Amino acid sequence: MSTSPSTTTAVHASGVWKIFNEGQSNEVTALQDIDLTVGQGEFISLIGPSGCGKSTLLRVIADLTQPTRGDVMVAGVPAAQAREQQNYGMAFQQAALFDWRTVRRNVELPLELQGWPKDRRAARAMELLEMVQLADFATHRPWELSGGMQQRVAIARSLAVDPPLLLMDEPFGALDEMTRERMQNELLRIRQETGKSIIFVTHSIPEAVYLSDRVVVMSPRPGRITDIVPIDLGERNEDTREAEAFFESVTAVREALRGHGGGAVRARAGEV
Amino acid sequence: MTHTDAVQAAPDTRPSNSTRRLRAGLFGLLWALAGVALTIVMWELVKFVGTIIELPMTTSDTAMPHVWTMVAGFAEPEVRGSDTTVAQAVASAALYSLLIALGGFVIGVGVGLLLAIVMQRFAFFERGLLPFVIASQTVPLIALAPLITGIGNRVSLGPFEWSSTYSVMFIASYLAFFPMSVGALRGLQAPTPTALELMRSYAATPRQILWKLRFPSSLPYLVPAMKVSAAAAVVGTVVAEISTGVRGGIGRLIIEYARETTAQPAKVYVAVFGAILLGLVAAALVTALDVYLTRNLPKENHA
Repeated sequence: MSTSPSTTTAVHASGVWKIFNEGQSNEVTALQDIDLTVGQGEFISLIGPSGCGKSTLLRVIADLTQPTRGDVMVAGVPAAQAREQQNYGMAFQQAALFDWRTVRRNVELPLELQGWPKDRRAARAMELLEMVQLADFATHRPWELSGGMQQRVAIARSLAVDPPLLLMDEPFGALDEMTRERMQNELLRIRQETGKSIIFVTHSIPEAVYLSDRVVVMSPRPGRITDIVPIDLGERNEDTREAEAFFESVTAVREALRGHGGGAVRARAGEV
Repeated sequence: MTHTDAVQAAPDTRPSNSTRRLRAGLFGLLWALAGVALTIVMWELVKFVGTIIELPMTTSDTAMPHVWTMVAGFAEPEVRGSDTTVAQAVASAALYSLLIALGGFVIGVGVGLLLAIVMQRFAFFERGLLPFVIASQTVPLIALAPLITGIGNRVSLGPFEWSSTYSVMFIASYLAFFPMSVGALRGLQAPTPTALELMRSYAATPRQILWKLRFPSSLPYLVPAMKVSAAAAVVGTVVAEISTGVRGGIGRLIIEYARETTAQPAKVYVAVFGAILLGLVAAALVTALDVYLTRNLPKENHA
């Protein structure tokens, strides 16, 4: 993991620590010495039990929280600068759409904050709603939409400024299984159309395997990367979910989560 | 995939929103009228019972005139031989007070909003200012009125002359700002952590966060706060008119008419109806504002 940061690297984190309440009795090491490089156009999933720091790592990359130690480069610039320059788009478990705006105006929000002129941002928003197949709902209010549709609006919004990187924090976590699988296909299609790099936080092993090029396995107390499982399933389609290779990868990730070989990690498996 | 999802957003065939709202409004009106009718019946019942047995209160026609006497009282001349009826005098006094209350309301809401914005933005202001804001409301109004008139009378800013009407408006705003500042502060703090992180991820400035997130999400809190503020402004105006002795408003009229109960017992009640009307008009204005401000929000999210 000692690849030097360059512009062909989407994200490069080196020696990242995040310690909450450092020096106090309630000190928690949320991230311990994280090294991670995400290539341009790569799909990476962060997986691990609650408290393993996967969301914290995502938020450090997004510059929503500062690392205690270490450096994070996004698209070749420090994370703080990347946030200022809108080098990434973000999606959360809650779609976090604004009720008082129409669907289209929700997608326009990041463009509005960047000072885009009205007609250009409306055109861009419609283009994105087209992509997530919600153009017909442009004038609806968010609360009139189902959970899956809301999440698609949120994805369209995260793509608005056309950032090279998407950071997604369990975006499908609140959806039912059927919707979830449809959304996964949708996301892969969008990725193919746009060539974005994606870092995706999830609790679900099949989801991580289905979506990713590499699955980063994390472990709690202290939060750290214990394994990185490469996934090689080629082009994804509905058959992929039933393929032998898929189940093998699922098993590989599950074993990595249990910490095969590592006794200390195995002892924690019960908490998963 | 759009197809199955779309079912949930398809237009329904139930009666349209406006029809449903109209029907609800009519029912509301019916209930309100029923309430008024019940009050009249109760009033007359108490008077009737008072003629049979001795009640621990006086139900004489001087203290509790018949409802029809009150209604007739509307049309009586204000003073013997004058052209203006009591109803006209009360109406013009109510309008006078309404304008003062409106002024107090606007100032109070403005100040309350500003305080809330400052307190939200700077945590030390919230810690330092909020106790004063709360303490301000524990000062009895009656004690405040002469103080404000006293200070106000010494105010002179060039051509600007302080009049006791301003004192009344000031007291009205003094009562109105409090519910507004507390409600608005809660509203400005209402956005979810996720929504705030989203804005941060867009590198939004504090001003953008205020206008595009905090302010719109505070609307469901602002409107009820405004309703309380409007009521406070009206009560403040009426009470301040009495304690500062300002003429022309409904407060003064109630006091004056109360002195004439022996001659015209219904008169004071007409003035009280004027005060009630004043409150209703103020409430209606705020409700209209509510409908306008929250037109884009889901209806179950706010009262």
